[in-house]
Amino acid sequence: MTALLSVTSLHRQFGGLTAVRDLSFDVAEGEILGVIGPNGAGKTTAINLVSGVIPPTSGRVEFRGEDVTGLPPHRLVGRGIVRTFQSTTVYGDRTVRENGMRGAYLGLYPGFFATLFDTAHARRMRAEATAVVDELLDWLGLTEVAEDKAGSLPYGHQKTLGMIIALASRPRLIMLDEPVAGLGGGDADHVRDTIKRVRGRGITVIVIDHNMRFMSGLCDRVLVMHQGARLAVGTPQQVLADPAVIEAYLGKRHAALAGH
Amino acid sequence: MLSPILLGQAVVNGISLSAIYILVALGFTLLFGIMRVVNFAHGAFAMLGGYALYYVYGRWGVPYLIAAPLSALGVALAALVLERLVYRWFYQKMFQSMIGLLGLEMAIVFTAVIIWDPHERSVPAALAGIVEVGGIIVPTDKLVIVGVAAVALAAFYLFTKFSKYGLAMRAAAQDVEIAAAQGIDTTRIYQLAFVIAIFMAALAGGFYAQTYALSPLMGERPLMMAFIVVILGGMGSIPGVALGGIILGFAESFLGTFYGGSVAVFASFGAVILLLIFRPWGLLGTPET
Amino acid sequence: MTDASLSPLALAPRAGGRPLAIAAAVVAVLALVPLVIADKFILSLGSTVFITAIAAASLHLIIRTGHISLGHAAFMGIGAYASVLTVMELGLPFAAGVLAAFVAPCLLALAIGPLVLRLTGKYFVLVTFLFGEIVRMVFVEWKSVTGGANGIFGIPAPAPVFNDPAAYYYLSLGAGVLLVGFIARLLASEVGRAIDAVRESERLAHCSGIPVLRLKVTIFALGCGIVGIAGALQGHFIRYVDPTSYSVVQSLNLVVVNVIGGMQTLVGPLVGTLFYLILPEMLRGYVELQRIIFGIILIIVMAFLPGGLVELGGRALQLVRRRAGS
Ligand SMILES: Nc1ncnc2c1ncn2[C@@H]1O[C@H](COP(=O)(O)OP(=O)(O)O)[C@@H](O)[C@H]1O
Ligand SMILES: [Mg+2]
Repeated sequence: MTALLSVTSLHRQFGGLTAVRDLSFDVAEGEILGVIGPNGAGKTTAINLVSGVIPPTSGRVEFRGEDVTGLPPHRLVGRGIVRTFQSTTVYGDRTVRENGMRGAYLGLYPGFFATLFDTAHARRMRAEATAVVDELLDWLGLTEVAEDKAGSLPYGHQKTLGMIIALASRPRLIMLDEPVAGLGGGDADHVRDTIKRVRGRGITVIVIDHNMRFMSGLCDRVLVMHQGARLAVGTPQQVLADPAVIEAYLGKRHAALAGH
Repeated sequence: MLSPILLGQAVVNGISLSAIYILVALGFTLLFGIMRVVNFAHGAFAMLGGYALYYVYGRWGVPYLIAAPLSALGVALAALVLERLVYRWFYQKMFQSMIGLLGLEMAIVFTAVIIWDPHERSVPAALAGIVEVGGIIVPTDKLVIVGVAAVALAAFYLFTKFSKYGLAMRAAAQDVEIAAAQGIDTTRIYQLAFVIAIFMAALAGGFYAQTYALSPLMGERPLMMAFIVVILGGMGSIPGVALGGIILGFAESFLGTFYGGSVAVFASFGAVILLLIFRPWGLLGTPET
Repeated sequence: MTDASLSPLALAPRAGGRPLAIAAAVVAVLALVPLVIADKFILSLGSTVFITAIAAASLHLIIRTGHISLGHAAFMGIGAYASVLTVMELGLPFAAGVLAAFVAPCLLALAIGPLVLRLTGKYFVLVTFLFGEIVRMVFVEWKSVTGGANGIFGIPAPAPVFNDPAAYYYLSLGAGVLLVGFIARLLASEVGRAIDAVRESERLAHCSGIPVLRLKVTIFALGCGIVGIAGALQGHFIRYVDPTSYSVVQSLNLVVVNVIGGMQTLVGPLVGTLFYLILPEMLRGYVELQRIIFGIILIIVMAFLPGGLVELGGRALQLVRRRAGS
């Protein structure tokens, strides 16, 4: 089986600082890949590079066998790659449903003149997009607050809404940047469930976090990053047993613990 | 065409233009750097400085070297009323300040039109006559302007370098929140920076009125120049103002002498637009994160 | 874009319904005015209001993407000169002039848009400010074409019939309904949804599949083209064009109209236009006082009322309703 996403020797420099260096990894269709590493390891930058938010200095990104390196985000969304942001990003002044509709933009936009004259085609697309969004709201339990302003939702709901915005474009691959950062234990478990359900719909997931315990219970494989480079990749068990990982990331204390 | 005399005059012109531009732009950048205020009313204070000099020096005959700083100080202190009434609502609100202070500019300028009517007047020269230095003829007036400007800039430099308040002001320009956390009274610092900024604008306005002409609408050009200098050097950067002022002063003087005034203006505007597009933080500024 | 003043309080109506009925009623009343009032002065004021409303609404369209242009009058001027030259130099009919008035500023905007629309809010303001000044200087310096500082005089009416103020009133009303209607329709469409998304969070919009730069350039070009038509209507109405009519001061006036009315919905610039043109009539003869009052209003609105008159009206209405309810 060929990889859905294939990243080869990705490199990104900010002035003198190399944020991502020689990063290569594959993601198989239907997989949940965790990306783990301490703050500043280059996880967010890696996602920014794959999602087109910033172009790589060098390297190659292939999606479904096609070269998509350096394409802008909106083109990548069209091909089925979406991402969420580390800091919650929703349109705070708009209703929850409107947030979802904006996420569905590509499926909603029928062309300039069609939308201007609100043709039958435009109305059909809008009905379809509305159905997609309503289904997502229902699926993730936000129907009750659909008409509330996104900014007034509790933090956990805003994170969920961020995911709904991304899912509304009906992606093949979704990349989640620290979806449980700032959430309590119960909420984190809920998000873990949600991510599994997302995968259950056939959507491939890349998820960033720096909590190994959270990741082990969720991911098929984990990519460990350290100072911009790939330190290890494998199943959570493999990675946890990797001496380089224990040494560099989990630290001496864990190395001692892993020893017995 | 490149006669040494013309060249020399272009240099002297360049120096005096640079001095005026630096004075205007320094205040502009100070207000931006410390209070995040884009002072679109800066030109109006330059204009008021021109009228102050017109009365203090031209009408009442106070000796020039006293009259110039005195009238600028008068404008700056009077402007403190506007600081309380208007400016303080716009501190740390960059966008709102742009439009709101455009409104202030409008209000001040048209009040001036009502008081002084729109006709141009002239402020007498500080010293009539010319001096000849190595075959270059220089109006004495220009030398006085350059001298006073140099003293003001040196005083500003020494103040920010060595006095307690000056250091606090520089700290605030670097980062207001850190400065406040260190116990610096930001309201005081804001007022101090405000008075200094308006003082320099008013002083430059006086020179400007002497060199060109005095009218309620005269502030437009100094404002535009302050703008360009500040963009050139980088918004909020004090060394950037020095560099930008010198570049612009000399560019205008040389291009103006050899190709005519409109070429000079086109060239400097065009250069600044290109700079804004490709390096919006200016020559010596730092990009926003 | 992070400027708080642009964060919308109210959603623009996506569908017709009541706002459409109100708009239709307003237009109907305006169409009846010349039948009731034959006063030349009122009719001319009407034409000015409609032309300014087109210009202000076209700036509103651009502002909705999160960019405030301080060079909008320059594009209006380009449209005015383009139309006047097409009619007077090439001898083509007024319709060709209007077409040129749309196309010329539109093309210029397409050329500079991809560069300047990458800039964030404050730098965009500065660049357009300088750009407007450059365009004005070109009007002054390019004497062989533009007539220099004196401008061009003796511009003919679009057709002999439009020498009648009532006819021009209907012409500009028609253009206003068409163009403002177009802008309203656009803002209520999916394009409008994308525009609002881009203003509120460019990053999120881009990552939801909205082609941010292309959208902004398109809207900028459309706004500049529309204001060009307003320029043509104005040039053939007041019968002359000159550089000062399209200077930075005029650009600023268009911003003032938007700020006073409110920048969050299309109603804002329309209300702002009325206020801007009617208030001076009440202070006729006191031109300076008008400017002073506008200046003070600008300060007050920016400091305390970022939603403009429309927001003020909305608040007052809420208050009245609450009183009535209790
Ligand atoms: N836009 C940027 N400009 C400059 N440096 C950046 C930028 N984005 C990230 N960096 C730097 O790159 C490194 C990696 O950051 P990031 O990818 O955010 O790490 P992580 O998400 O793993 O915490 C950090 O040192 C950070 O300061
Ligand atoms: Mg990160």
